[in-house]
Amino acid sequence: MSESGSFIISFRVELNVSSVMSPAGCSHVNGYKVDNWKQNLRVIYQCFVWSGTAETRRRKAKSCICHICGAHLNRLHSCLYCVFFGCFSKKHIHDHAKNKRHNLAVDLLYGGIYCFVCQDYIYDKEMEQIAKEEQRKAWKLQVGQLMPPLIVSTYTWSSGIGEKYTTWEPTKRELELLRHNPKRRKITTNCTIGLRGLINLGNTCFMNCIVQALTHTPLLRDFFLSDRHKCEMQSNSCLVCEMSQLFQEFYSGHRSPHIPFRLLHLVWTHAKHLAGYEQQDAHEFLIAALDVLHRHCKGDTTHDNGKKANNPNHCNCIIDQIFTGGLQSDVTCQVCTGVSTTIDPFWDISLDLPGSSTPFWPLSPGGDGSAVNGESHLSGSTTLTDCLRRFTRPEHLGSSAKIKCGGCHSYQESTKQLTMKKLPIVACFHLKRFEHSAKLRRKITTYVSFPLELDMTPFMASSKESRMNGQYQQTVDVLNNDNKYALFAVVNHQGTLESGHYTSFIRQHKDQWFKCDDAIITKATIKDVLDSEGYLLFYHKQFLEYE
Amino acid sequence: MYVDLKMRATINQKLTEMGERERLKELLRAKLTECGWKDQMKAHCKEVIKEKGLEHVTVEDLVVEITPKGRALVPDSVKKELLQRIRMFLAQHAT
Repeated sequence: MSESGSFIISFRVELNVSSVMSPAGCSHVNGYKVDNWKQNLRVIYQCFVWSGTAETRRRKAKSCICHICGAHLNRLHSCLYCVFFGCFSKKHIHDHAKNKRHNLAVDLLYGGIYCFVCQDYIYDKEMEQIAKEEQRKAWKLQVGQLMPPLIVSTYTWSSGIGEKYTTWEPTKRELELLRHNPKRRKITTNCTIGLRGLINLGNTCFMNCIVQALTHTPLLRDFFLSDRHKCEMQSNSCLVCEMSQLFQEFYSGHRSPHIPFRLLHLVWTHAKHLAGYEQQDAHEFLIAALDVLHRHCKGDTTHDNGKKANNPNHCNCIIDQIFTGGLQSDVTCQVCTGVSTTIDPFWDISLDLPGSSTPFWPLSPGGDGSAVNGESHLSGSTTLTDCLRRFTRPEHLGSSAKIKCGGCHSYQESTKQLTMKKLPIVACFHLKRFEHSAKLRRKITTYVSFPLELDMTPFMASSKESRMNGQYQQTVDVLNNDNKYALFAVVNHQGTLESGHYTSFIRQHKDQWFKCDDAIITKATIKDVLDSEGYLLFYHKQFLEYE
Repeated sequence: MYVDLKMRATINQKLTEMGERERLKELLRAKLTECGWKDQMKAHCKEVIKEKGLEHVTVEDLVVEITPKGRALVPDSVKKELLQRIRMFLAQHAT
């Protein structure tokens, strides 16, 4: 499922009864609905339309060919009154219907019932119900059987309990709600719904830009707009509820800037180190906000994870589902080459920059080659990929930092390397521009170029393993889209450490960008975004798998 | 021509028997949704319905109108991928 940029919601709540079609189908089915017709129909669906077992499949493969011309294509239909298969496109089934006066047939591809008198597909409630049930049954059987892993990973529409993906249909209650709330909003590619300015309440731009990034995180937006938070907190201080309110404000269509005083108050309550009217660090705010949201999400963990809910590291709340990745740390003993591996969860990746007191170049012992991907450092600009390569390089820990090796049973020199074990759906990169060393506090303004689309494959733990096994030339797997990311938000800091201002760029509708400067929202070009300094970079996975 | 038809029938039989046909259908559905083809076709259907009038349009009208466009708009990458999967399957189950 790739993120779709635009969608149109329009409902027709009134049922339109036409002269040919009625909710009860056409009257010509009455001749069919006699004796044991329901069972007969089920058998037809099971054997010839949606074959769930190996036996029915074999029968279908052998017998589903046109009785006139032998073809299996041409929109084959089966007569409902007798055992006859005929092409629709070649009108073979039409001839049969005429000759035998059998006026009903079923489409073997989609299960639709065709009436030759009405000369169209008809929608009989009872027959539709049977069709739906048989389709679901067959699907469950199919998913239950062994599927080659290659194909399972490419499309997993089932939600784990063998349910086939079906389009949404409103329930009675939902129809009622829709009738009582007649206002509709049409979302087109140009509409600005979801965009709203935020008033600065006194150096709160650090909070405003994070709010902009979060309200434009598609999965988070979908979670809150579909009301999925079930609050279990007694007091009024649930940050998740406040977040939900915030989404309502942003998608209300109001164009005046929103005043987030309640959000600010809640943040001060739950993250005391951020309280006060001084300028705070946007990155710190992001981590604190995610932490509080994660803690307040207890009510939303699904029934599967009842046992996991008590373990703070293994929660399955929406925050964890979206933001949590796994960082693998491999410590290799230089003497026995034994590797000790740990995996820690992370919400963001903090990257060192050239110009800080820790040396940036060269990247690794032995050198990783600086001309990968055609990037040249002679032009002077560092790229995000450079920073990531530095982050994942093997690092000698030095003689003063010997690690106790489990293999040698003594303290030895070792190298440490970080790689990505599990990628989050939203990856946040934090460029460490604020240096707080013992000697000085300063801002590093080195320009770092970042791409619109990012492939994280070279930084994965699995890629490192392939490299170690001698596979230096990794064939690019075109079919594997798991590690591809797209930029959707950028937070920038202007000014110095002492006095500065945060703004953000956020992406709307696939290729439209907007600059958010507290209460002022302006249209921006992709160039504006990519030329900006960059402090926090938010990337979203391009292809999602249902789990 | 006869040989080609017979081969197609045999391949289809094999694919159906092993359930591969259903899996390929689901894969194709997913790919066509992803690349926006489904949305394009939906929009085209709406146009046809507007043209013919909601009360009188039949499924057949829609099929006739959108089939050529639908066939033409399938991206090459999708065709390639399906073809590759079919080849892989046949290679694995060669008799």
